[in-house]
Amino acid sequence: MTANMTLFMVVVFAAAIWWGWEWPYIAKLMPVYVSALPGLVLALVQLFRDASRWEVRQAGVGGSIDMDDSHRGVADKRVELRRTLVFFAWFIGGALGIWLLGIIYSLPLLVFFYALVDGKEKLSTSVIMGVCAYALIWGLFEYVLEMRWPPGLLIGY
Amino acid sequence: MEEISLVDAALKGFLNILHLKVFLAMLVGVSIGTFTAVAPQGLGTPLVYAIMLPVVIKWEPVTGIALLIGASSVSAICAAYLPVLFGIPGGAGSQATILDGYPMGQRGDARRALGASFMAGGLGALIGTFTLAVAIPLAKPLIYLMGSPELFVVVLWGLSMVAVLAGRRPLKGLIAAALGLLLATIGQQEQSGIMRFVFDLPYLLDGMSISIIALGLFGIPAALDLALNRLGVEQQPVPLMGKLFDGVKDTLREWWLVVRCSFIGVWVGIVPGIGSQVVDWLAYGHAAQSSKDGGKNFGRGDVRGVIAPESANDAKDGGDLVTTLLLGFPQGVSTALFIVALLAWGFLPGPEMIKKNPEIIYSVVWIQGLSGIIGTLVGFALASQLAKLAQVRYSIMVPIIFFFVLMGAFSVTRDAADLLMVVGFGFLGYFMRRFGYPRPAMILGLVLGGLMERYLYRSMASYGFTWLARPAVVVLLILATTSFFFAVRGRMKSSAVKIPGTGGGDDS
Repeated sequence: MTANMTLFMVVVFAAAIWWGWEWPYIAKLMPVYVSALPGLVLALVQLFRDASRWEVRQAGVGGSIDMDDSHRGVADKRVELRRTLVFFAWFIGGALGIWLLGIIYSLPLLVFFYALVDGKEKLSTSVIMGVCAYALIWGLFEYVLEMRWPPGLLIGY
Repeated sequence: MEEISLVDAALKGFLNILHLKVFLAMLVGVSIGTFTAVAPQGLGTPLVYAIMLPVVIKWEPVTGIALLIGASSVSAICAAYLPVLFGIPGGAGSQATILDGYPMGQRGDARRALGASFMAGGLGALIGTFTLAVAIPLAKPLIYLMGSPELFVVVLWGLSMVAVLAGRRPLKGLIAAALGLLLATIGQQEQSGIMRFVFDLPYLLDGMSISIIALGLFGIPAALDLALNRLGVEQQPVPLMGKLFDGVKDTLREWWLVVRCSFIGVWVGIVPGIGSQVVDWLAYGHAAQSSKDGGKNFGRGDVRGVIAPESANDAKDGGDLVTTLLLGFPQGVSTALFIVALLAWGFLPGPEMIKKNPEIIYSVVWIQGLSGIIGTLVGFALASQLAKLAQVRYSIMVPIIFFFVLMGAFSVTRDAADLLMVVGFGFLGYFMRRFGYPRPAMILGLVLGGLMERYLYRSMASYGFTWLARPAVVVLLILATTSFFFAVRGRMKSSAVKIPGTGGGDDS
């Protein structure tokens, strides 16, 4: 799987080089010569390391602390996969909802349904959360800050 | 434009913050910072910055700065709740606190540990702020030697540190930074007017919003962590017992340790490439090694094991700002996003800002100091209430994060493409984190890419290749190469350090 991520990087850098190759020098200096070409070379080296399981063999040798925090999964991989898919389904659903219904309706609905269905919170708690979300997004942004949100594709307001 | 003296700038910087709206913004920032530091798994300052960025860049600069600095300053002070109550890291910089903070909590001294943490953190924050204030007049004469070529080398130096910051995975760090540099070039090039990677999409004409990218990269994986591990439901805290004031007395008794560790924090903040992930461990190691009893009680609930990392972690923010404001390159994601905000307000962090807007830099210093004091007071006054906040269930936290991530992204241009972008970068953030590609490296590349291109273009246009022979450029290149070499060598020599999970994404 790690190799797939590196392969994605290889494709991105290769596509950037292909796209920018015909640009004048001034325009391609940064994207092609400074970013994509070195990125491609490094990604190919990493791809070789992934394929040869170099990092696994080097684990614990000459290392130090990571710059980024690491992924914290759960012991049961099937549970982890299910929870991850459900999580992204909610997230994408929320984004789709904003596109279709508009942010004023969809975000409070997302908060309400997530708390009720996935979080198994009480109905009253979920309603309070949804109402608070609505109050914040409508009351604060539309009413107080006069920041007009665009309507959704299906519902206008 | 007439230049003002630093004393006048300091005074003007102070007068800048004497407005009700600035104080209110600082208080809002402190509240948000407190909540995100205490809330399950420490959501972290980068996420707060990413959410607030689209909003604050529309405000007056000092008001926006008050909110951002208020949030970051207090989030370090209040980061000890999760280590002490749950035994999990509250973000980078408070991981070592677990070693003694959690055993203290288990034996019924949680309040004492928190009291020591607040006091040490508050003192550390003040020492960090003091260093920042002193660094400005010291750096000013050097700043006047710097033109575009020197600034280009400084930015290059900052970027080269990605290899060091990436810790155990320098190659992946460089790949992530290259991806960030590439994304920074999307849009119409300022110098030539050529459209790069726009694909006839008007949305991409002005480039990609760093705020949306940061929201996707950091917000979504943080929320996923909560949903996966179900904190507050499947993990329960230790009871909040003991006395806060005992921790204060401990800290005052160990004042010399606080001073030493605070300067370790400041040093880590200033020197490029050390990173916030190590600051607490360096301070903890120093405290254990320098203790008269040989450190035999460390790891068993010794209060010095809380005081040392917390004072260093809070002092580091002042050191971070020295590099960010005076040199113009960020030390982590939060400072990178802070630079984005400064650029949006029309300031160019680094030498140009010291020359043209020193009063803004001093406003940052005042706000940093004040919010450190307020954060400490908040910690003392609301310890019990905040402890309850740390127990908020994932089922409440996850929709709140969804709400702010989607709203923050959609508020950038209010275009459906904003949503597509945040979903896409949410996936990218998940996979990068899962497969060990450091996300902060990508953000650094993204922020520094634009600056690099600007300085390189100006240098080439003004001097051709002769800028490479300028004395200051040569000195900076030698400094950069030497520091890079020693940093890499130090990393290679260091033995592997295994951390019991790192959380929060607070890699500021």
